[in-house]
Amino acid sequence: MPILPRIASTFRSIFRKEMIEKELDQELESYVDHLTDRKIKEGLSPAEALRQARMELGGTEQVKQKVRERSLGSGLDTLLLDIRFTLRNIRNHPGFTFTVVLILAIGIGANTALFSSVNAVLLRSVPFGDSEQLIVGRKTNEGRITGAVSRLDYYDYRDHNKTFDHLAALLNGSYPRVVMINDTPQLLNAGMVTWNLLSVLGVAPAAGRDFLPQDDLAEGSTVAMISYRTWQTQFGASRDAIGSTVSFDGTPFTIVGVMPHDFRFLYDHDVWTLIDRSGQIDMQRDAHSLLVVGRMRSGVTLEQAQGDADTISAGLQQEYPDTNADKALNLTGMHDYMVRNVRSSLTMLMATTVLVLLIACGNVAGLLLARGQRRLPEMAMRAALGAPRNRLIRQLLTESLFITMLAGLAGIAVAHAFRVLLLNLLPIGAVGIAPPTLDASSLIFAFGISIVTALLVGIVPALRATTVGPARQIVSGARVSEGVQSARLRSGLVVMQVAGSILLLIGSALLIRSLGQLSHVNLGFDSENLLTARIQIQQTDYETPEERHQFFSSLMERISAMPGVVSATTITKLPILNPWQDWPVWPADQPRPSNTERQFAMARWTTPNYFDTIGIQLLRGRDISVDDLPQSQRVVVLSESTVEALFPDQDPIGKYVGIGWDEEPWRVIGVVSEARLNRITDVPNGAMYMPSAQLGASILRLAVKTTGKPMALVGPIRETIRQLDANAILSEEASMTSILDAELASFRIVILSIGLFSAIALMLTAIGLYGVLAYHIAQRFREIGIRMALGAEPASLVRRYVFRGLALVGSGLLLGVLSAFPCSKLMADLLFGIEPFDPASFISAFAFLTIVGIVACLIPALRATRVNPAQILREQ
Amino acid sequence: MTKSRSDLLRGTLDMLILKALVLERMHGLGISRRLEQITDGVFQVQPGSLFPALHRLEQEGWIIGTWGESENKRRAKFYELTAAGKRQLGEEKQNWSNVVVAISKVLDATS
Repeated sequence: MPILPRIASTFRSIFRKEMIEKELDQELESYVDHLTDRKIKEGLSPAEALRQARMELGGTEQVKQKVRERSLGSGLDTLLLDIRFTLRNIRNHPGFTFTVVLILAIGIGANTALFSSVNAVLLRSVPFGDSEQLIVGRKTNEGRITGAVSRLDYYDYRDHNKTFDHLAALLNGSYPRVVMINDTPQLLNAGMVTWNLLSVLGVAPAAGRDFLPQDDLAEGSTVAMISYRTWQTQFGASRDAIGSTVSFDGTPFTIVGVMPHDFRFLYDHDVWTLIDRSGQIDMQRDAHSLLVVGRMRSGVTLEQAQGDADTISAGLQQEYPDTNADKALNLTGMHDYMVRNVRSSLTMLMATTVLVLLIACGNVAGLLLARGQRRLPEMAMRAALGAPRNRLIRQLLTESLFITMLAGLAGIAVAHAFRVLLLNLLPIGAVGIAPPTLDASSLIFAFGISIVTALLVGIVPALRATTVGPARQIVSGARVSEGVQSARLRSGLVVMQVAGSILLLIGSALLIRSLGQLSHVNLGFDSENLLTARIQIQQTDYETPEERHQFFSSLMERISAMPGVVSATTITKLPILNPWQDWPVWPADQPRPSNTERQFAMARWTTPNYFDTIGIQLLRGRDISVDDLPQSQRVVVLSESTVEALFPDQDPIGKYVGIGWDEEPWRVIGVVSEARLNRITDVPNGAMYMPSAQLGASILRLAVKTTGKPMALVGPIRETIRQLDANAILSEEASMTSILDAELASFRIVILSIGLFSAIALMLTAIGLYGVLAYHIAQRFREIGIRMALGAEPASLVRRYVFRGLALVGSGLLLGVLSAFPCSKLMADLLFGIEPFDPASFISAFAFLTIVGIVACLIPALRATRVNPAQILREQ
Repeated sequence: MTKSRSDLLRGTLDMLILKALVLERMHGLGISRRLEQITDGVFQVQPGSLFPALHRLEQEGWIIGTWGESENKRRAKFYELTAAGKRQLGEEKQNWSNVVVAISKVLDATS
């Protein structure tokens, strides 16, 4: 049929409905009249003829309904009708609607908020072209990933591979450097890369040119690229920037190119230079400092590339048994690498919000079931008037869909609040991915989840509300049996809710216990009242190690003399804040051991008084002193575990060790206790401390033990430094306690989120439990009245109903605890210091939920005792 | 063109109604009586099927209904075929033949 008349017909049937209905009425009446006439002609009495004619028609309403169903535009028609009906219901029962919308909004909102984070971090790919082909390479020893790759090894992988378009490398970190731009010193974050990093990422410079292979060949190449932001702020985005010179530490670099707008790779760098090739140490095959980044050829899979790398590793193991005996290269997809730290937290949070939504759906389904009960007579009447069952079901589903859509809208506001309050505090930005926003995909997700929720909560109540046929509905007996089935369903829902809640509570308890363990772990040093900072002097102002040593010694003297300072010292890397840098160490009278037998310790260079200041115990021998000068005998203080490994059961004082890669030995002058130098969660590491005077460093970390608040001394210390050298730069001032807090911050956020969700889930469950029990008791008011009239003690009644409620709680607990076993195993890598089946956590979660359950049952049970038996009996 | 079972039945009724209206205009009861007569009582169309079909055919534009006076001097809505309806009848007849042939083939199949 042609479209236009069809549309016209549809509109006509909607807008001129009344007229059409009237006409149909008349037509049916005319049919009955004519049929009656005919029957009269056949010999029946008028009354009988009319009766038979009416019967043959079969009921005006029914026929009209059938006509309505078959006419065009009936779908739209019924939808509009359903919506009108829904609106009217909502207006009549605002409380119910509000409750349901509120409950669902929380569930939908939490899920949408989590989804936006999960989407941004886990689902979205890295923002470089063809990102599935990007990989990250890290060194492994005996199969375990141990970190950075050495430069010579990198060259071999780069030159001998068959599966990569490009293989680049970078120094993993962000190095604040003082850069002279147009004769003004600026503090910029420097990144050091190989020439082909941009080629690997598939990115072209915004201005100027990329690095070229030739740049990387010259000794200490002096070209640099700057970030777009630096180009704008320092050079006004003018083309003159290309070719101009900036200098770091006295060395001039020529700017050859500008990175694209918003370019960001793992760190926020402002300037990139080529990896400094003049460093002696880096030319050793076992000096490891690089992160490898590569782009596989198109069509190559990760397994193929890994196989290629393994072949090269095997070759290196053969050729250089001293340095490469158990070494290999592990390739990981770039995306997996970037999210490795947040993946488990995010996944767990997502699981949590899904549970919360399911529990919320349980409540709403229960409410809808109860309401369905109350509306049985209404449904019966509508069925009697000719509504087919799926018409009724469709109307009920439209209602739940409408309400859930409202909840979805409200949920978006809730999601926004969750995000702002909680999720923005997750250290996702550190991963190198833009922070999540509530964008189109989140909105679509919210919409989708609303529909799924509507079906979940609406289907069973809709089915239950329309089961019994019209005649039976109106008889109250049938209503009672319906009620029993409905009540059983609701009880089942409560059991599921309890199970879900106990899962969440156990999860929270495990995490809280982990946090407790983390906070009290013995770090091996004293973090109280400790001010830390970074001090950098210009290398051009202090040419020799002696001069640098002179500066830092006099600075320490001055700072130690300040009021409020107990002691002051410096070190190359502070514990926790600046991890790693492990070097080989061995007894000097033995030959340098091979890679597999080698002992590693964290290498640190300090000025005197370090151990005093930071609270590490000096067990034997002496500290580094002012007499340990650049030209005097090289000395080292070792930690206990290193001594145990190198000189078991011997006194190490006076013995000599070899360190790193050169031949001159170091004399052991002292032994100190262990401390955690890397992450709080790692076991304490072996360490060796050497005089910074003998290193000649120009950048050191300050550690000052104060009597009062550490941060109060920042100003005076800055002034003291300035007086000694106006060009010295003090940065990154922080108290040690705040640094440790920051380490635990993300953990705390996760716990806070899960705790919040658990509380919500528990509350919803308690409400559900209360509802079921209250209904149960209300049904039995008559029985209660009789019992009380016959002399039953209120206490026994209360006990009876509380036990009944607790039976539900008990079943839920059993179900929940059983499912908790496999689930807590999944959480294992988020835990610290406790087992996944930590009894204390399980028991406390159990107890907490039982107490809440008892309270939820007590309230309606106590109300039962307020029943006035005389009144109840009278009402019968 | 394949049709579902209820579509097939409905389509058949539509065709029969169109055919019944080829010669003269009739009202609802008249149509059902005519069909009963022609088929010697085999097809007895209930109002529950007749009126939806009539209403739908009118919406599609194949028949058109006008109120008038019946032989009993009562008001009744009389339906008649439109030009489009005549064309549709031809089409439906063709479809029906196809269906009959197909069914015969099935029934005559030897295995």
